[in-house]
Amino acid sequence: MISAVSAPDVRRGALARHSLSVPVAILMFVLFLLVPLLPGEFWTHVSTEVLILGLFAMSFNLLYGYMGQISFGHAAFFGVGAYASAMVFTRLKAAGGGIGMLDFLLSLLAGPPLAAVAALIVGFFCVRLTGIYFAMLTLAFGELLFYIVFSWYSFTKGDDGIQGLLPPLYFQDAVHFYYLTLAIVTLALLAMWRITESPFGYIMRTLRDNQRRAAFLGINVRLHMLINFVIAGSFAGLAGALWGPFSRSVNPGLLGWQESGVAVFMTLIGGAGSFVGPMLGSVIYTLLQAVVKMYTVYWPLTIGTIILLIVLFMPGGVLGLIEKRIKARRERDAGGREA
Amino acid sequence: MDIGPYVLQLFSGLSRAMVLFLLSAGLSLIFGVMNILNFAHATLWLLSGYITFSIFQFLGEQFGASPWLLLPAILSATSLMALIGFALERFLIRRTYDRELPEQLLLTFALVLIVGDLIKLIWGVENRRINLGVEPVEMLDTLINPYHFVIVGSGVAVAAGLWFFLHRTRFGKIVRAAVYNRNMVSALGIRIPIIYALVFAAGVALAGFAGGVFLPLLPMALGVDHDVIVQCFAVVVIGGFGSMLGTFVASIIVGVVYSFSILFWPDGALAMIFLIVIVVLIWRPWGLFGTELRY
Amino acid sequence: MNTTDRKWEALSEQLKLSRRDFVFSSLAAGALTLTPRLVSAQAAQPYKIGVLLPSTGTGANYMAHCIKGLPVAIAELNKRGGLLGKHPVQMVYRDDETKPDVGTREAKSLILNDKVDCIFATYSSAVALAVQEIIHEHKVLHLSATSNSSKITQDNYTPYTYQFCPDSNMQSGAVVVAVSRMAKKNKWKSYVSLGQDYEWGRDTHKGFTTGLAKINPEVKETRQMWFKLGETDFTSYITAIMAAKPDFMFGALAGKDAETFMQQAGQMGLFKRVPFPGGLIPVNDLKAQRKTLPRGIIGLARCPFFAHLKEPIMQAYIKRDRAAFGAEGYPDDWACMYYDALGGLEQGAKKAGSTNTEAIVKALKGATIDTCRGKRSFRSCSNQLEVPSYVGEVWDSPAYPFPIYKPDTMVYVEAKEVWTPTCEEVEKLKKKRA
Repeated sequence: MISAVSAPDVRRGALARHSLSVPVAILMFVLFLLVPLLPGEFWTHVSTEVLILGLFAMSFNLLYGYMGQISFGHAAFFGVGAYASAMVFTRLKAAGGGIGMLDFLLSLLAGPPLAAVAALIVGFFCVRLTGIYFAMLTLAFGELLFYIVFSWYSFTKGDDGIQGLLPPLYFQDAVHFYYLTLAIVTLALLAMWRITESPFGYIMRTLRDNQRRAAFLGINVRLHMLINFVIAGSFAGLAGALWGPFSRSVNPGLLGWQESGVAVFMTLIGGAGSFVGPMLGSVIYTLLQAVVKMYTVYWPLTIGTIILLIVLFMPGGVLGLIEKRIKARRERDAGGREA
Repeated sequence: MDIGPYVLQLFSGLSRAMVLFLLSAGLSLIFGVMNILNFAHATLWLLSGYITFSIFQFLGEQFGASPWLLLPAILSATSLMALIGFALERFLIRRTYDRELPEQLLLTFALVLIVGDLIKLIWGVENRRINLGVEPVEMLDTLINPYHFVIVGSGVAVAAGLWFFLHRTRFGKIVRAAVYNRNMVSALGIRIPIIYALVFAAGVALAGFAGGVFLPLLPMALGVDHDVIVQCFAVVVIGGFGSMLGTFVASIIVGVVYSFSILFWPDGALAMIFLIVIVVLIWRPWGLFGTELRY
Repeated sequence: MNTTDRKWEALSEQLKLSRRDFVFSSLAAGALTLTPRLVSAQAAQPYKIGVLLPSTGTGANYMAHCIKGLPVAIAELNKRGGLLGKHPVQMVYRDDETKPDVGTREAKSLILNDKVDCIFATYSSAVALAVQEIIHEHKVLHLSATSNSSKITQDNYTPYTYQFCPDSNMQSGAVVVAVSRMAKKNKWKSYVSLGQDYEWGRDTHKGFTTGLAKINPEVKETRQMWFKLGETDFTSYITAIMAAKPDFMFGALAGKDAETFMQQAGQMGLFKRVPFPGGLIPVNDLKAQRKTLPRGIIGLARCPFFAHLKEPIMQAYIKRDRAAFGAEGYPDDWACMYYDALGGLEQGAKKAGSTNTEAIVKALKGATIDTCRGKRSFRSCSNQLEVPSYVGEVWDSPAYPFPIYKPDTMVYVEAKEVWTPTCEEVEKLKKKRA
């Protein structure tokens, strides 16, 4: 399927991809390190949420920004990761009478593999399609997984959710849990960076820009899409695994299309065209939500309007806008050689 | 064997089917012609329900309560929704034509949030319902609500009207041609932007009509749009984007299958529909009656 | 006794010192440490209540009156000086959107950011269970007055949660009692169930079927139907129910779906053929659906104002709401129960002599408090308030612009009649908390 390039594809980014990402990433990392210095525990909690959902959004961007497909069912893998980890956690806790460090880390590790399996199954069917059909099928599977978790009370406790996900004493402290999250998310993002900057990552970009050409080049399109789908699902599962102990509970809503929408919004706000865009989007979205909801219940109106304005006037997101400005200035400084 | 219950399930299935069809026809039309998947379709339907309620209530206060006031209420709400659809296309949707698919989807997704909250802002959180005071009638040894005949009648009338419009009028033929090849239509000197504006307005008006027609049967509440949009998608996917016949047939399939599975496997009714959607997307993504070209 | 004397009384009671000793020891210990105490006796520290109720999602429709009414109730409390007559109460409202994640996040925000002393929550049981994890960890008092899964006070028990609403077991127990009486009278033999396919629906259904089977084993369920939340078209379910020709039907439905079902079923004449006893029809539905609700149908309520018109507290609530909200200002079930929560908080603080959470938690344990439903006690093992459930016939009353339950046939099913499980069983259900 030829992708029509009638307008500049903002997902490509105006500059070479990593020229803006690296300084922004370093700046954000430093700021993240300093968060606990803020007064009160609340902002530490908010930042933990930013990191976890940012990881989720970045896993989504592997499919969207890098591979060019929009998935509305990505939260299903986030949720599968959350539930896998929650169920291992509760069983280890019941068996041991309490939750120790090792058991806790084991429960976290349970998330990604199960999410990967789910992504393998779902992806097997979804990668045969692209565009709107890909979007619809991911939505359908996402809802199906939500429905399964919701209905299977004997296994997942259905819509009651699973409570009692209290981490070991050391990590009950918000700051300790925050730094654990920061460490895990940073490692995950470094891994993601390696993947996106590898030949595999560039194959993804080719698939995004022109699938037919990629096929002519001898690339097995379906296989590569599936591998990327599974990788994206695994990282989403890791984010989900962290979410359970953070919130102290999980519930089926984590798998629904509205949760998938959060990843999409964050990516759009930050900018799908650069590596750290979604994380920046998470910062903006989560902080905005925390503040807006203190003053009004009309949060959907607020975020809906923002998304609307971004889509219309700033489709590259915040980073896309910055990149455009820098590029414009560079061209001006270069003596206006561009006509 | 007493076939009464089965006939009744069939009847209720057809009523459900017409409900789905009225709801999904606009969505299918817009996607078929303009390639835009309007996530906000059900939200606009809900908005129309609230608008119809307010008009009906207002008319009742002015002229004394009467079920017949529903007719002018529906007509005014539908016209208002057509205007709203026109405005949306002109000021918002139009700007996304040369954009990538995800951005178009996100725009309509954002509309779901915006319009949903606007409904809350204007009407508040409490549910709205009306009672036409219609008495149930006896049929086949049981009672039914005669308003269901209105539903089935409206569905069939809309289907017939759309068919006539698309196949027998010049404008309809242009619209169908645009589904196949908009560039060619444009090359023939027909202004595509006007076509798009009118089609979008028509699609939203259909949603508006459906909203008004359902008001006597369904209390209007915030969040109903979220419940309903997934079923709309199911119908449009199964029938095929852009095919009115497909939407009609798929509505009947979904409605009747659902209705009968309540008798035999009540738990699984919705799961069955889901599985049909997934199977269709995997085996024949363009739906039963969709055109392969679209894919 | 003038105000200053009263204040001295209160202070010395707390410090367990005579006035003279108090003055001396404060001079001795250094006036600085105790002056803030004296100062705060004059400009008292406010007590913050976080109100976590939905104005988005399925719960919004039900909580609207509550959210409007609580500030009015709190203002009245503050006219008396607030808690203990000296701590003005401040309310911070947050929308939990009927979603557990949002509830968790907003609860944290209320506790860590707004520093609330107590949380009133919530509508949805799923949200309540999630919020309980947070309030328990941060040791914040949690007063629940609408979310009523039995899990809240049993499986997910925390000493910080107090429940003012009859729980799901008590409610289904009440329906069993009422239906059993009707079944005996009308010689019913078979019934069909229709339920919302989620935890509450399944739970309620199980409670009813097992309860009824114990008392009336000759009454059998011939068909069970479940529908997904958000169902908009019940026609096929209604035709199926009528086809089965049962003696009556049982419904585990609530909220918007219940309203949709009642409207569509009423219009199809279902209730003329098949009685439907015991559906949840609280006061806000009686008010809102006055034009569409079939009369004569038997409903279940959790705290209807018209059931306790003789109680002075209920009279006060009605008077206050009518003054604030006009002719329609009759408090619904949820508003009444949350007002009772506020009243319970006030009485708990009074009994404890302090606004300290641990003290109030201890004071309320097994305590008897005055509520709009009369004097009621908390069950020590679960912190559940011992309150009745109400079953009655929807009937047009000349006294109100909306239908109520017919007074002479209304049944009050006391908590003790349906107290399941026993305290021993409750202890076994409670999960171990770190």
